[in-house]
Amino acid sequence: MGRVKSAVAEPLMTAREVAKYLLTSCESLREFESFMFGSSLFGVGSDFDILIVGPSGEPLSRLKAELRLAGKELPLDVLYMLPAEAEETGFVTRAGCRPLMRLAAGEKR
Amino acid sequence: MNWQVNYALKNIWTNHGAASAQHIRDDAIRITMPDRPDVVAVISDAYAINAELAMRYQADFPDMDFLCGYRKECVWEGGAIRYLESNTIGWGNAGTLGSAIHTGDVNTAAQKDYFFSYRLIRQIRSVTNLDREFDRVFTMTLASGRTFRVGMIMEYEPTADAIRTFWDRFGPIDIAWNINPNGYPTQNAIEAGRGLGCEVMKWDELKVLLRNR
Repeated sequence: MGRVKSAVAEPLMTAREVAKYLLTSCESLREFESFMFGSSLFGVGSDFDILIVGPSGEPLSRLKAELRLAGKELPLDVLYMLPAEAEETGFVTRAGCRPLMRLAAGEKR
Repeated sequence: MNWQVNYALKNIWTNHGAASAQHIRDDAIRITMPDRPDVVAVISDAYAINAELAMRYQADFPDMDFLCGYRKECVWEGGAIRYLESNTIGWGNAGTLGSAIHTGDVNTAAQKDYFFSYRLIRQIRSVTNLDREFDRVFTMTLASGRTFRVGMIMEYEPTADAIRTFWDRFGPIDIAWNINPNGYPTQNAIEAGRGLGCEVMKWDELKVLLRNR
């Protein structure tokens, strides 16, 4: 069956563009380790999976507010972990998480 | 075109083989599958959907088959769920819509993140009353007369932040039930729950509680 596509549909941001956008718009990300993982890395999926590793408390509240603003028109699914939790779960390695900095710079794995 | 409609259309075109989709107007799209009636889905960017908003969508789009909360953090209030289900309108996130397109049960689909866990609780004999306050929060009364407010935590490996954020958003709960069968709550998550006054548990522990209390 032929696909009906609206002429006004706009191109979506790539994983690299999202990484760049978040690093630019969320200053507090400097205080955390940030990653993208999951299907969004490969241009599929309905949202962008982001992992944030770092402290809780005030810095985290600040970052959450910035991400909420940045994600106003962007489907983000953000997971927050303490450094001890990242270590306990081994999630970064297991889920193939890619640092946003490297993704933004266009580095290959 | 709204951002969330744009994403929903692209997602259907990319990931849902035989389906085609087009924008109707505002938040509504039409989805066509071979040999099936067309489906009208309304793609909402709301952070929370209550009965009033669900009714407003239905008034705007009387032929709505499915209401999609596109944001991952979208929360559905119990009133909205009851309203939509009683009007045979499916509800849930983009993943739920995607699955429903394939199975053809768009009008009866319910947020799949919580569907199986909530159904499991409904089938337990010792649960004599259930009140679903939100898609992920319910209060259950057991045959013994004891009542528990339960939060369903869908994260693969719930973290301390997930527990604290849940508590802040939905208020005190007795049980944080990690419904994802594959992962386990982190030690920090269990301790965070303890600090707040709730038990973080998996199904095996909840099952024992239902049997014994």
